[in-house]
Amino acid sequence: MKFSGIWKKKKDHFQNIQLNESLDTLPKIPLHTELNQNIEVLKSAYKDCSDVVFREFSIGGSINAVLLYIDGLSNTEEVDQHVLKPLIQMKNHEHGAIFEKTKKEISVSDIKDIYSINDIFKQISIGNSIILIENETNGISIGLPKWEKRSIMEPDAESVIRGPREGFIETLRVNTSLLRRKIRHPLLRMKQMDIGRYTETQVIVAYIEGIADSTLVDEVTSRLKRIKIDGILESGYIEELIVDHPFSPFSQVLTTERPDVASACLLEGRVVILIDGTPITLIAPCTFASLMQAPEDYYNPFYISTLIRWLRYIFFFIALLAPSAYVAILTFHQEMLPTTLLLTIAQSREQIPFPALIEAFIMEITFEALREAGVRLPKQVGAAVSIVGALVIGQAATAAGLVSSPMVMVVAITGVASFLMPRYATGISIRILRFPIMIFSGMLGLLGVMIGITAIVAHMCTLKSFGVPYFNSTAPLKIQNLKDVLIRAPWWAMDTRPEFISKDTSNLRRQSSNLKPGPSKGGGES
Amino acid sequence: MSCMIRPIKKTMTLMLLLCLTSIFLTGCWDRTEVNDLALILAAGIDKGKNKNIELSAQIYIPGGSQGGQQSGMSSGSSSGQSFVRSAEGETIADAMARLQEELTREVFWGQNEVLIIGEKLAKAGISDEIDFWMRHSEPRIRADVFVSKGRSKSVLGAKPELERDAAKQLRKIVKTHIGVKVTVKDLSQMLAGESAPAVLPWVEKLPPSLMDKKKEIPIINGAAIFKEGKMVGRLDDKETRGILWPRNEIKSGMITIAIDDENGYISLKLLRSHTELIPSIKNGQWSMHIKTNADLEVVQNTTKLNLFNSKVIKRSKQKVADEIEQRERLAFSEVQEKLNSDIFGFANEFQSKYPQIWKQKKDEWNEIFPQVAVSFETKVKIKRTGLATGKRQRGVEQ
Repeated sequence: MKFSGIWKKKKDHFQNIQLNESLDTLPKIPLHTELNQNIEVLKSAYKDCSDVVFREFSIGGSINAVLLYIDGLSNTEEVDQHVLKPLIQMKNHEHGAIFEKTKKEISVSDIKDIYSINDIFKQISIGNSIILIENETNGISIGLPKWEKRSIMEPDAESVIRGPREGFIETLRVNTSLLRRKIRHPLLRMKQMDIGRYTETQVIVAYIEGIADSTLVDEVTSRLKRIKIDGILESGYIEELIVDHPFSPFSQVLTTERPDVASACLLEGRVVILIDGTPITLIAPCTFASLMQAPEDYYNPFYISTLIRWLRYIFFFIALLAPSAYVAILTFHQEMLPTTLLLTIAQSREQIPFPALIEAFIMEITFEALREAGVRLPKQVGAAVSIVGALVIGQAATAAGLVSSPMVMVVAITGVASFLMPRYATGISIRILRFPIMIFSGMLGLLGVMIGITAIVAHMCTLKSFGVPYFNSTAPLKIQNLKDVLIRAPWWAMDTRPEFISKDTSNLRRQSSNLKPGPSKGGGES
Repeated sequence: MSCMIRPIKKTMTLMLLLCLTSIFLTGCWDRTEVNDLALILAAGIDKGKNKNIELSAQIYIPGGSQGGQQSGMSSGSSSGQSFVRSAEGETIADAMARLQEELTREVFWGQNEVLIIGEKLAKAGISDEIDFWMRHSEPRIRADVFVSKGRSKSVLGAKPELERDAAKQLRKIVKTHIGVKVTVKDLSQMLAGESAPAVLPWVEKLPPSLMDKKKEIPIINGAAIFKEGKMVGRLDDKETRGILWPRNEIKSGMITIAIDDENGYISLKLLRSHTELIPSIKNGQWSMHIKTNADLEVVQNTTKLNLFNSKVIKRSKQKVADEIEQRERLAFSEVQEKLNSDIFGFANEFQSKYPQIWKQKKDEWNEIFPQVAVSFETKVKIKRTGLATGKRQRGVEQ
């Protein structure tokens, strides 16, 4: 009873605003003609918000007005100079057209009219300043936001030797500008929506109209619209909320911090989802082949890129299977090893009390722990960890008789192999899957390894990312698309864009088909 | 709806869990750690007492560098990295079971690369013994087979200077293709043929060097010839080289010729050779034409002849061809006439070319084989005359 009493009292106080709802669903509250009424509503809404500033002043000394902004988000110096100062000094005392006159006085390019309290909430939260005037049902939003942001830096997780050094940052507008600077065509669309009941996070769906399949764009938008959540703090929130198979260990959305990667994906007909507050953008659809493509593949000569891509495929299997194959052969199929190697292994395993499977588990878990510690620890301590790690994983573990040296070798190779994956997410899938395969191999030998591989391949074949098969262009096979899967074809041979779901193949051509340079093509000295 | 789905999901999870536990139940039934294996590197079979078979196995000691401490448990003649143990039984399998009783670790045949048959057993017949190697799933059928002079056990215990042990030593020697190389699979194929002829490399021990009298090295010296699964005789090194030509097994070799009236010799290295057996039956006369193509290069020339002279080359070619044929003849006289063992696979050739006649005469093959007329045709090409041009003494003149 008591509780409901408070509730009722509060409700009265807030008039008809109930703020524990998403601002989108909040009923529209038009501005009142009386300024004081509006101020009261806003003040009650921003109760205990010490960072919201209400600056009451009078235009030309006669008409009451209020300037409203969030301290730290607005550029107060500019507001003072270009808004407050001219308005206070305005000499016209005529009534009536005061709203238009005020707008004329403000020398700021980004000005919007606002009609409701809801608009004010939106505008103020992105750093705009609001001016409300006595007897006016319209307000003015002045776009002079300013807040501290990180400068554009090279992303650490996706560094390249050849290629642009810039990376996305936490500020959405900077990120869109980075994209727009690469793709200047007006057909680069950026649909905006706000997701998160409290965070009101701006999310932008970017795509190139005409290249990206419209059904894909609709699908992405509708999946994003479905999200009802308190807050979006990182793209991972959205990723888990929009993927096709939520339990799959494989990532079904590409992530990148690089504008060049995002632009390349846009040009291939993919959709890029930019999220305010994180430098990581999401790219859909994602296929297995695209997880094996590194940005540098396209900047380096095609033959070296092709070789490195093969290396990646090989090491994908090594990262996934090396420990389990070792365990399987050592416990079930000793006859498969060359005699001399087996003798050496037998010699080094002589003092080891554990079965090969346990040995592998000890080493793999230690390695994973070291890796996690290395990521998590402050940089100053990092060096110590790597020294201890090298000792633990290398010399000491062998000397202590816990693991044999061939196992150290296997774990080291596996570790190196998992770092070879161009996408961090691929490495994670491999790390997860390695352990069940190890258990299988420890129980059933190579048969177990094969069961594991079969299960994984079967699972991957059922995967779809936004309607696109995970093994797109290999299963179902599209020979044309293999030029960016098995090899990296030279640019003059990559005439067509990868084919995703589009039934319409008329727009697949990326460039004219006769671009191979040669003396007959003209140009140069003749 | 949701209350309908939930039980289904629950049962699904339960079933999945049950499936998972069943995997654990199957257990690691044939899992064996390397630590629990007695790795057999080489095996020897000899004739034991009372028709028994004596199986000797050379077993690896994984203790490695600390092997000295463990050598105490080794019986027989070994010390260091491996030891030799033997057991007797009615069959090899029986002997193996006896051997297992004496070992703490499970006998593992998977890495056994060398099988040595003692001379006495070889003379008594080996067909029954080879059956074990072919039938049992563990031993490698690609293991090399040898016949040793005396008991095989003594060969197993030898400590060669360069290689790890006797097994490695024999395997390496046989790889050089200086003698015949026969694996268990080859042997069983040969034994399955008509009149079961077979040839195996003959192992002898090199007399101990002056430095270390204990170190006797097993080497291959010739070949043992089998007929009807029994050893009937042996060839010396030179004769063995002769049988390699028609068997198409010659991979390397050096031929030294002297040209009629000249002082000195020309040595040629064999690059490659190919031999074809062409059978023919005319008027009841069985004959075999042996056609050899050989490529050689000159590696030494101690004569005064100029090898750029085409006449010299022609004469050298003829000499080389004669030499090759002479080697082959030597082998044939021994194997065909004296031992009457068809180790060249003549039977197969006749059978495939004259299947009808073969069907009738199959049983008489033993009598026919020594009568088969053998003719030779050898084509020699001298591919290179070496880096030095002309004659050594005249080198300056060019």
